Amino acid sequence: MVQINLPQNSKVEKGEYYKDKTGSKNIRKVNIYRWDPSNGKNPRIDTYEVDMDNCPSKVLDLLNKIKNEIDPSIAYRRSCAHGVCGSCAMNMDGKNGLACTKPHAEIKGEINIYPLPHLKVQKDLIGDLNTLYKQYHSVEPWLKNSKKNNDKENLQSIEDRSKLDGLYECIMCACCSTSCPSYWWNGDKYLGPAVLLQAYRWIIDSRDEERKERLKKVADELKLYRCHTIMNCTNACPKGLNPAKAIASIKKMLATS
Amino acid sequence: MKDNNPLSPHIQIYNWHISSLVSICHRITGIINIAIITLICFWVALLLLGNSNYELIQNFFGTFFGKFIIIGTVWSFSFQILSEIRHLFWDLGLGFELKTSNITGLIVIFGSFILTIFIFILGKGFVL
Repeated sequence: MVQINLPQNSKVEKGEYYKDKTGSKNIRKVNIYRWDPSNGKNPRIDTYEVDMDNCPSKVLDLLNKIKNEIDPSIAYRRSCAHGVCGSCAMNMDGKNGLACTKPHAEIKGEINIYPLPHLKVQKDLIGDLNTLYKQYHSVEPWLKNSKKNNDKENLQSIEDRSKLDGLYECIMCACCSTSCPSYWWNGDKYLGPAVLLQAYRWIIDSRDEERKERLKKVADELKLYRCHTIMNCTNACPKGLNPAKAIASIKKMLATS
Repeated sequence: MKDNNPLSPHIQIYNWHISSLVSICHRITGIINIAIITLICFWVALLLLGNSNYELIQNFFGTFFGKFIIIGTVWSFSFQILSEIRHLFWDLGLGFELKTSNITGLIVIFGSFILTIFIFILGKGFVL
């Protein structure tokens, strides 16, 4: 269901203001979405003044600096810090991306950081991605092949292998799915760009033997056809992939098969 | 998940892109067009009841508000046509690269106004 307004318990309030204590001349204001599950209050936006002279280049560095030097209570996910694990996906400056690959110099004015959109917040910048993982499981993202002899390589032509380019690189960071308005309104039924790209990755794999079953499974008014080519997914993808094109390819396969 | 966990902000904070803007306009103009076609059908049906009805509607379209409705309708149809052509190419699997889709999106937005002016000038010779 389309619900434009946030529920009453999700309305964002003004939070605390952390003034700079270093006396630096090069200050930037960083507004961060905060929600503490322990006190029953509404989410708030805390503002931090950060000394940019001693801050490395990425948004994740900025968050680390705030956590280490200003406010240790702030919570966010991060791991590899170079765009491989997909843990630090969040909404920065109104667009989803990975905090570890997004330079804060690209953001003009105050830096606004929110959790990924339209998720149940667990704490601060951490959203609940369980629905997405369940949907990912539902497309059975593993090779289905009846060949018994596993002692040899499963060969694939160069041409067939190249069909997986632009698909296998997906790190499941959920930037695309949570940028999609269709997924916001129908996230419980519509699979969303990330999962559909993964579904297509197995449909198009020449080594997989269940292409037809896979296609049949995904061919659903709600699961697939809620995609209206809004293209927020492709705009958001931090790995430069094209989920919109993958979804269109599934639609095309269904229309021509 | 407990019910008291808040929902993170979505449309309130998300940036608009060319593609999302064209997409929502495509929907809105689609709805407007259905309403307009229905109204035109009623208008034609009214003509069966005599020429006084024709004059009533003719006078309405002569007013400033009436003219605004006509031009708005022409724009709405222009936008829908161009955007639909873009969708047809997408259905063929073409034009999904970010750069291409941004350019075609801009063509739809500016093209709809150019087409409106073109149709208006063309129609002026016949109608008004």
